[in-house]
Amino acid sequence: MNWKSLFPLLRKEFILEFRQRYAISGIVLYVFSMVFVVYIASIRVSPPVWNVLFWLIVLFASINAVVKSFVQESGTRQLYYYQLADPVLLVLAKILYNTLLLLVLSTLAFGAYSLVAGNPVKDHFLFALVVLLGSMGFSIAFTFIASIAAKANNSATLMAILSFPVILPILLTLVRLSSIALGLIQDTAYMRDIINLLAIDTILIALTFVLFPYIWKD
Amino acid sequence: MWWKALSIVLIIYTILAGMLVPLKSGIQRTEPAFAKAGADQTIRFYGYNTFFQKASDTPVRVWLYYDDRHALAASDFQVLNDTILEARFRFPGQLPEKKESVSLNALIDHPVAGAALLPAAVYLSSNPDSTGNTGLDSAWTANPVEQLHVQSGFSFPYQNVIYESIRNTYFHVPMWFVLLFLFTASVWYSIQYLRNPEPENDRRAAAFAETGLLFGALGLPTGMIWAKYTWGQPWSNDIKQLMTAVALLIYLAYFILRRSFDEYEKGARLAAVYNIFSFASLIPLLYIVPRMFASLHPGATGNPAFGSQDLDNTMRAVFYPAIIGWTLFGFWIAQLRIRYQRLYDKALGLD
Repeated sequence: MNWKSLFPLLRKEFILEFRQRYAISGIVLYVFSMVFVVYIASIRVSPPVWNVLFWLIVLFASINAVVKSFVQESGTRQLYYYQLADPVLLVLAKILYNTLLLLVLSTLAFGAYSLVAGNPVKDHFLFALVVLLGSMGFSIAFTFIASIAAKANNSATLMAILSFPVILPILLTLVRLSSIALGLIQDTAYMRDIINLLAIDTILIALTFVLFPYIWKD
Repeated sequence: MWWKALSIVLIIYTILAGMLVPLKSGIQRTEPAFAKAGADQTIRFYGYNTFFQKASDTPVRVWLYYDDRHALAASDFQVLNDTILEARFRFPGQLPEKKESVSLNALIDHPVAGAALLPAAVYLSSNPDSTGNTGLDSAWTANPVEQLHVQSGFSFPYQNVIYESIRNTYFHVPMWFVLLFLFTASVWYSIQYLRNPEPENDRRAAAFAETGLLFGALGLPTGMIWAKYTWGQPWSNDIKQLMTAVALLIYLAYFILRRSFDEYEKGARLAAVYNIFSFASLIPLLYIVPRMFASLHPGATGNPAFGSQDLDNTMRAVFYPAIIGWTLFGFWIAQLRIRYQRLYDKALGLD
């Protein structure tokens, strides 16, 4: 495996995003609209509800941001990559790029949501860590599922039904950790939850590396 | 085939033994459940599967005991019928330990039905008027609990709240064992399919997943009926119930995915990939996440497995055959499904 080709692949993702600026603008607008809709529907919310709504916003924004990963390029161009690059590096580049993208989107969602609905976060460092871990977990799981869903005709529906059950352990752990960051539950032993989350991420990324070559070849 | 016959024999054994073996005798409640030190009080015991009226040479004995050394025998008792017994206790003026109140466990020893126990049956509160001496009252140690009878014959343990529904252990719990075995088999054939894309491997993976889903669909309602009886409502947002529902959603999505492609080979390959991926994410679902949340299931704190302390030897004699029987039965159904699909594919010319 030639690790040097990881950087051109990563660079390709950024260039692609820059060329299709309407796609990322669409996602950002999606986040703002969703925050606004959630705000209009609930106005003042208690911290537990804030917590859940925030993660729902991030979840839906993430799905919509990642689903385009494999459909924005044509089949012939994918064939071209297939002959040039190692599939593991290709999917790794996409995961890294999506992690970054989701991190930016979650930060935007957090900013917009705390602007309109208030900011109940007590432990900002922990919350930032949770958002980072969440972006990682979502990125790994959704990138893999998106690569499967992209092969089918009704990819949007398939994306949702395939990814929701798989993402649930991650989402539950995230909501639990962020309720600790919000001071809703007192638990000093949250390190164990973080390790659990990292363990799930490791399992998923290992599976992605093993299984992605089978999805890739057509 | 011998194992098909064995599965039928074991399931019939499970149904007969699981349904017909009686429960051990137990105490449902006491009335009143409160007493004061130094008082002379009659307490009524409500038994379950007890035979107070069954005559025998050794009489029924009734105790309220605090620990191994402190027990209070009934001074006198009267049997009202087979399940109700009134016992008279002369409570000493002193509690067995220097406390505001203690909870006493009830114990009824019957020569035929054996010993029946109810933990924390009576709360005994101290009485300031009768605190004379500071030493322990000898009344607590005069009649120790000894020479208990053991019920002869085959019977299941009696547990408050659960009662007869303990029999569901042989029907609800094995469903999850079979589900896990079948899903494991399904993943095994999915891996085989990726290594060697034969339609046969894909057929097996799909058939095992379908049969596993069937057992999940049986395990969920049997659990919900049990939950309605013991926890009060069929769905209590218990973490294991949620995780199970999610596990079933994963496999339903697997079937949607299989049918979403025009080309057979593509669908089979991607479904195999998703099967492996989702099975591996099922492991955190079943083993990591339930440990993080409180659960109503037995053995919940830290250990989602069925607590071994909940099974006694009599239950084991039915529980283990039940698991083997249901597992063989599950594989039999899966085999029929595979053979049907093989013929179907052959008729359509797919194979």
